[in-house]
Amino acid sequence: MDVASESHRIARLGLDRNLDDEEEELRLSAQARARLADPSNSEANSKYVVDIFGQTHPPVASEIFDCMNCGRSIVAGRFAPHLEKCMGKGRKARVKATRSSTAAAQNR
Amino acid sequence: MSSNPDHQIHHNRSFVSNPQHQSTAVIVPPPCSHLEEFKAGRGATAFGKLLECIRVRPLGRASVRREPNEVFRCSACRQASQRVYACVSCAAVVCDIHAPDHEHEIAIDVDRAELFCCSCGDQVYDRDFDSAIVLSQTAAATLGGCNSLCTPPPENLRKRRRVDYRPWTPDSRERALLGTNSSLLPGNDEDLSSSSNFPVGLKGLNNLGNTCFMNSVLQALLHTPPLRNYFLSDRHNRFVCQQKNGVHRNKNERNNKNPQRLCLACDTDALFSAVFSGNLASYEQQDAHEFFISMLDGIHEKVDKDEHKPHSQGALTNDLGFRKTKSASGRLHYFSSGDCCIAHRVFSGILRSDVMCTACGFTSTTYDPCVDISLDLVPNHEGPAKTSTKTHHSCNGNAESINSGHSSGTSTLMGCLDRFTRPERLGSDQKFFCQQCQVRQESLKQMSIRKLPLVSCFHIKRFEHSSIRKMSRKVDRYLQFPFSLDMSPYLSSSILRSRFGNRIFGFDGADGNEADESTSEFELFAVVTHTGKLDAGHYATYLRLSNQWYKCDDAWVTQVNENIVRAAQGYMMFYVQKMLYYKASEKQSG
Repeated sequence: MDVASESHRIARLGLDRNLDDEEEELRLSAQARARLADPSNSEANSKYVVDIFGQTHPPVASEIFDCMNCGRSIVAGRFAPHLEKCMGKGRKARVKATRSSTAAAQNR
Repeated sequence: MSSNPDHQIHHNRSFVSNPQHQSTAVIVPPPCSHLEEFKAGRGATAFGKLLECIRVRPLGRASVRREPNEVFRCSACRQASQRVYACVSCAAVVCDIHAPDHEHEIAIDVDRAELFCCSCGDQVYDRDFDSAIVLSQTAAATLGGCNSLCTPPPENLRKRRRVDYRPWTPDSRERALLGTNSSLLPGNDEDLSSSSNFPVGLKGLNNLGNTCFMNSVLQALLHTPPLRNYFLSDRHNRFVCQQKNGVHRNKNERNNKNPQRLCLACDTDALFSAVFSGNLASYEQQDAHEFFISMLDGIHEKVDKDEHKPHSQGALTNDLGFRKTKSASGRLHYFSSGDCCIAHRVFSGILRSDVMCTACGFTSTTYDPCVDISLDLVPNHEGPAKTSTKTHHSCNGNAESINSGHSSGTSTLMGCLDRFTRPERLGSDQKFFCQQCQVRQESLKQMSIRKLPLVSCFHIKRFEHSSIRKMSRKVDRYLQFPFSLDMSPYLSSSILRSRFGNRIFGFDGADGNEADESTSEFELFAVVTHTGKLDAGHYATYLRLSNQWYKCDDAWVTQVNENIVRAAQGYMMFYVQKMLYYKASEKQSG
């Protein structure tokens, strides 16, 4: 089946996809990956960076604060496991009102 | 072999093409003088008898046949060539060679149901003709009625009237209130330290013990423009919140809270508690996407209660076939375009699913709300996608599938979306009961986007869990994603139009409003990435603020070049509509 008719209609009615933009995006991504793979490129080397707050290395979550549930002093980096135990007992499971789209696509 | 039909198709120089190449905008080319004259003389019944002879194959093309197996032969040379035309005026049949000699001008390509001008030697287009073809095609697909394929959208889906954006400035009374009730944030005015050079609101988030899955999504949400604007403009009243939701919190703790604390911190607080209290099985190494869904869910329930919105907001009817979903608690949820809460107003879109009988073409349509789109990473061995169902060909005649880079083996986001919206043959073990045939038939299923959300979140399914093989693995393959994304090819109007041969017709969702074109254009503002292994990995988020990209790695926030973002391994990509339209706001009290 020839595609001349279909192509003609698509072109004449202005329905062609904007290939130029799509190709430009592909080109930019390929270029970006090539640049980063280049070992002489200093961009890829993120060792000697300073963050936006002027710090020279990632901070450790060493602050200590009080748990809002039990009141004990907990170090930040260990807060999550603490809270799980602290709040975990006696709570009802929350109901999900929001579904992800995989459910929508799969359910028929 | 019959003559090459291509020499008959050439571009008419009088047509001005649409420079933007938008897929949703159908440009109706001005008719050639012959077509114009033809129509002027005949009015509404211009194509008359031949339109009664339209045959539609199930899921296939429309053609013109007076009898089912009629073979057309050229009256001049008696050949049944590949391309023959039936004259609309005298019903004589001519092939492409003898068409110019025919006394009348307007004819129909019988195999393709396309209009042809014998004088111009070119395929021409007419809205009325196309409408008649589409109505024949859709009659077969919908038990004789049009319903979901071509009726105008029901009331609840029509856009509320748009208004021009008017920036707010305080009047004198409000200025006085501002002066007495607020103070400048510290360190803003003349602070010359480097800390004043970065955008307001960009903060690191401490990792509280493998909580990078939360931090990464929170960063994206905190900088989702409509969501951020909503909370920062105090659309959520904290006092109402405290009173209505006391039941969910430890009352002793709440009473001690400093009442000056920001509401959003309060909400985030509540969400942390909710997350750890049993919604997710355990906090360890959780999936960022699951957390994203939980966050939206949390905002939904919370804000829903606070603002007293009735659950059936929007008066959804069955016209759209919305499924009423029941949560475990038995509550009925009606989701339209997100009138229930800010989370849904920002993220909720509507997916359309069509299941088509391969025997008779009958189509069953359902609509489902969605807050994101989860996409499979196309495996490498699949190579270029199957081209049999593709009708988007580039206009220079290149028949290669334009799945954006599949030819080079790179997976792309648009390639995934192409795959998501392509017609898929359901297996013979999944036969669908066709209402028209009254038996189970093999069917095709096709997804499309009926309504785009303000913010589109794409989730790439990099984590595979196989219950059969009892193993899970992560797919590390690079996925190319654009900074600027045009979603119009994936809209229901585009998909349907393509399914019915790209006719000039308003399909589901296309209301012909030119302003709609720009609502399909999105720009990237956040990327959540995952590095490392399935069970020992790390999430980080790239954010774009004021055209500068930042990497948020828990509490470590650095400026990065956009190349780093383009080359990153995207797990969730957040796009926001380039053009935001405003509706008149509801009256605010006080």
